[in-house]
This record gives sequence, C-alpha cells and structure tokens, in this order.
Amino acid sequence: MLDTWRWWRGILIAFGLVAISRLFIPLPFLNEVLIFSIYTIGCNFLLGKVGFISFGQPAYLAIGAYGTAFYLFYFGTNPYIGILVGLASGLIFSTLVAPMFVRLRSDYFALVNLALAVIIFYMMQKVFAGITKGDNGLWFLASIASTPLLDLTKPSDFFTFSLLVAIALWAFYKYIDGTIFGACCLATKINETKLQFLGYSNFRIRLIAFVIANTSTALAGSLYAVYLGSVSPEITSPARTADPVVVTILGGVGSLFGPLVGTIAYTGLRDVISKLIGNWEFFIGAILVIIMLTNSSGLYGSAEALLKKLVNKLKSQAEKQVLK
Amino acid sequence: MDGQLLVSGVIFGFSLASIYFLISIGLSLCFGLMRIISLDQLLYYSFGAYITYTVTTITGSFWLGVLCGVIVGGLLAFFVERAIFRRIYERELTFSMITSFGVLLGGIGLIKFIWGVVPRPVKTPFTDQIVLIGTEIPAYRLLVILIAGLVYLGIWLFLNKTIIGKAIRAGIEDMNHVEGLGINVTRLFTITFVLAASLSALGGALYAPLIIVDPSMGLEVLAFAFMVVIIGGLGSIKGTLISAIIVGQVVSIGSLIYAPLAIMAPFAMMLVILLIKPTGLFGSKLTK
Repeated sequence: MLDTWRWWRGILIAFGLVAISRLFIPLPFLNEVLIFSIYTIGCNFLLGKVGFISFGQPAYLAIGAYGTAFYLFYFGTNPYIGILVGLASGLIFSTLVAPMFVRLRSDYFALVNLALAVIIFYMMQKVFAGITKGDNGLWFLASIASTPLLDLTKPSDFFTFSLLVAIALWAFYKYIDGTIFGACCLATKINETKLQFLGYSNFRIRLIAFVIANTSTALAGSLYAVYLGSVSPEITSPARTADPVVVTILGGVGSLFGPLVGTIAYTGLRDVISKLIGNWEFFIGAILVIIMLTNSSGLYGSAEALLKKLVNKLKSQAEKQVLK
Repeated sequence: MDGQLLVSGVIFGFSLASIYFLISIGLSLCFGLMRIISLDQLLYYSFGAYITYTVTTITGSFWLGVLCGVIVGGLLAFFVERAIFRRIYERELTFSMITSFGVLLGGIGLIKFIWGVVPRPVKTPFTDQIVLIGTEIPAYRLLVILIAGLVYLGIWLFLNKTIIGKAIRAGIEDMNHVEGLGINVTRLFTITFVLAASLSALGGALYAPLIIVDPSMGLEVLAFAFMVVIIGGLGSIKGTLISAIIVGQVVSIGSLIYAPLAIMAPFAMMLVILLIKPTGLFGSKLTK
C-alpha cells in the first residue's frame, strides 16, 4: 500500500497542482499545456532514453490529428471513437516507418524525420487537398456529439479528460522506466555493443521505443483535433518542427516531469512575452543556448537538484540538533 | 511540354541549385571539419538577405548590398563562433544541433526586432532578358548561376592549392593528425565557420531579389538545405554540388509537370537514397 502510494506520489502531486491551478489560471491555457505536454513526452522519451533526436514530431502529431479529423468529419460523431481512430492511425503509421528509420544514425534520423514532417505537410496541403480541404483545413466542431459523463465539447470536461489521459500516460512512461525494456532503451543509447553482447537486439528495442513514443505523439494530435474542432496543415508546418525538442530541452531531457514543466514555461513565456514585447523567439532561443552551454539539466532538472540539496541540508541540520 | 518551357525550366532549376549549393556548402564544411550540425547557417542566410535589402534601399546599389551582407554575415558568425561554438566542439552531434537551433531561433527574434515582421521586397539589379536557344531568360538568374560556379571553383582552388585549405581537407580526414602537425586547430575552425557563414550570407543576398525577404525565410529553406546535404553525403563538397543540382532540377522541372508534387519529390527521393545508402551519395562513414 505504502509502496503503491510512493510510486504514484510524484505523478499525483504534479497533476494535482495542475488541477488546482484551474482555479486561478484560464482554462484554455491549461488545456493547451496538457495537450502540449502529452505531445512532448514522446520526444522526451526518444531524446532522453533512446538517444534519438527527432525534428519531425509534428508528422506524427498530424497523423493522429488527421486520423481523428477524418473520422469526425466524414464518418461518425463520437469523439472518443475519433480519438481511438487517431491513436490507431498513429500506431499503424509509426509501425510502418519505424523499420526504415531506426536503422539510421542519430543525426540522419533527425533530418529524415524533418523531411517526413515536410512531406506530410505538403501531402495534407496540396496532394490530398480534395479530402483535407487544403489550407482551410477540416472543421467539424459542430458535428462532435455530446457524450454522457464527460462531454468533450465542453472545455471544462475536456480538461478533466485530458488530465486523466495525461496521468495515465505519465504512469505508463514511469512504468516503462522501471522495466527491463526501459533499461534496455537506456543501454542502447549509451552502449550498443554491450547490449548486443547481452543478447538483446538493438534494432528491436529501438523499434518498440519509436512506436511507443510516436503513438503517444499521435494521441496528442487527436486530442488537439477534438479540442480545437478543426485540423489544418498548419499543425505540421516546417516552422514548428522543433517545438517539442525545444520544450524537452527547456524542461530537462529524460526527466519524467520535464515535459510538463517545460511546456508550462514555454507556453507561458510565449503568451507573456508576445503580449509584452511581441518577440518571444529571441528569449526562447537565448534560454535554449544558455541551458545547453551551462550544461544544466533544464528547468525541472535544476529544480529537482536544488530541492534534493535543500532536503539533504535540512536533514543534516536535524541530525546535528539531535546529536547536540 | 514545349522546348522553350523546358529551357527556362532548366535554367530556373540551375539558379535554384546555385542558391541551395551556397547554403548547404556551409553546413557540409562545418560537419566535415568540426563534426557539428550548424543550423544557424540559415540565420546568416537571412541576415545576408536583410542587410542586402537595407543597403540597397539606402544607397541604391545592389552589389554594395551583397558585399555588406556577406561581411555582416561573416562578422556575426565570427562572434557566434567565439562565444558559443568554441565551447561545444567536443560534444556530440545532437548537442550542436540543438544549440545551433537555439541560435537560429534567437536570431529570427532579433531579425523581427530590427526589421519587423513585414516581408520586404528587394529590387532586381537589372531586368534584362537574354535570348538562349529561342527562349528569353532573365539575365540575373544566369548571373547567379555564374557566381555559384565561380564560388565552387574558388573553394576548389582554396582547398587544393592553399596551405589552409589543405589543412582543412586533412582535418576532414583526421583531426588528431592535423593537430599533431602543429597546426592551430582553433583558428582553422574559426576560418571554416566564417567562410561557411559568408557563403550562406552570399546565398541569401543573391536570392533576395528573386523572393520576398521575410523573417522565417531561414526556416523555410532549412529542410531543403538539409536535404541537399543529406543526398550528397555530409562532409562532401562534390556531393553537395551534385545533389544541389539534382534537387534544383527536380523541383523546377517537377513543377512544370505536376506542381503539388514538385516540392515533395526531392524529399521522397531523399528517403529512397537514404534507405539504399544511409550515408548519402558521396558520404564517407564518418563517426564521432
């Protein structure tokens, strides 16, 4: 019982804070934060645990979003089934491309993913313009049916739903970290040869990790689709390909709550700075360079280290007093 | 498709290839020598175009603008190299990729701060047409092709005939030996980086009259620059030239056949080439 509580403690506290902050932070911002952090955690996993840097996450985001959009626009009205369709299309798509991509070296991997994002962009914008309505995008907000229990057309219910999804996803990634598979992922990043020597297939581990990460990215895409009620090619535009990487670095690579903290900082900075000066790229870029140069572990990573130091200090002080 | 269209398409493709070549040669040189992926080359490209715009509007002389653009691009690169890249040469590739993306993003913010977000048009220096095989072709495009050709020749001579160039080529093969020969590697890196940035800035300056200059022009061309480098193979200069020509022609002639596919075709081609030969056409097996 105590162990279970300990395991869940971090996740529940973090998302409990998000839930409480609803009282004084506007709902659209929080919804954006939740979806974006789900979007980023896949990239965080790839970069932090498997050593793949991907500049093409929007491709998978778009696959999930368009999967949901096609279902809701052409076939059905139930948003839950729509999200499942988006998830399934993400799973199928990433399984299809994974065998080709995971063979590549890390730098080529980044660039090929970037290329994939651009291909998807042009496909959605031009080639399949008949189905995707080109630049205008698909609009289906009115056709999403209200469902009992959690009505996803209401922002407040959507918030509850995405909070639950995020908690489940974080628990899933935390669970993976603790399994042998998680250890293998880390090993394939650090020492391929040794892992091979131990009898594991690097290719297979990378393949599974790639599929897991990009399916969760696709999930974020389908959440976006349901939340906004529309999808346009803008979602995978070449100018936004590096967003998840930036957020991952900002939050702290490989840490569990890095994506959440990074997203809050990124979205917050973007909103605040663009309101005040209207020039947020400069600050985000400068922060990114500073984090990389000072070799710090991002916002969450540094905060975690500081917290640990503080706790240790308090503990040692308490011990000293006891000794006295 | 008639002959005139084809001729103008081919010339258009070559001029596009020239610009791609000028931008990606910097990426390729930086990777080959320093083993960094320098996304901020696209920043010097944008700066080259913007400085050209400003100087051209003030003085009225386009070529002075190009000169200033190249100089400012090089100077900017010099400071960035001194302040940032010097510290990260030893790190892995992904590290430089992220840092340089930060520089690119910050630089775009700076551009928005200085010039605003409104796209700026640059006047073409001359609008003469030249008749070639019965087709009228803008002389400026031919001039761009000529300049790119001269740059290739110049780089070839620089790398093969001068001592610094030879050191750079040796460095691409084996950095440790070059260091062992007593050559100042730090200075070599600075020279290469500034050279690469100046060429990117030249690309931006020459491209400015053909497009409309806007803050995100670097991000738009990023994917193409990468594609050229990847198809050619990271670190190979000959490969960069050939793949720039291939990509330029595919985009140009492809758009005559079926426009929506034209921009996508090179990406699909890149995927296929990478699947067959994961190091690109002329890439060597470089590892860090």
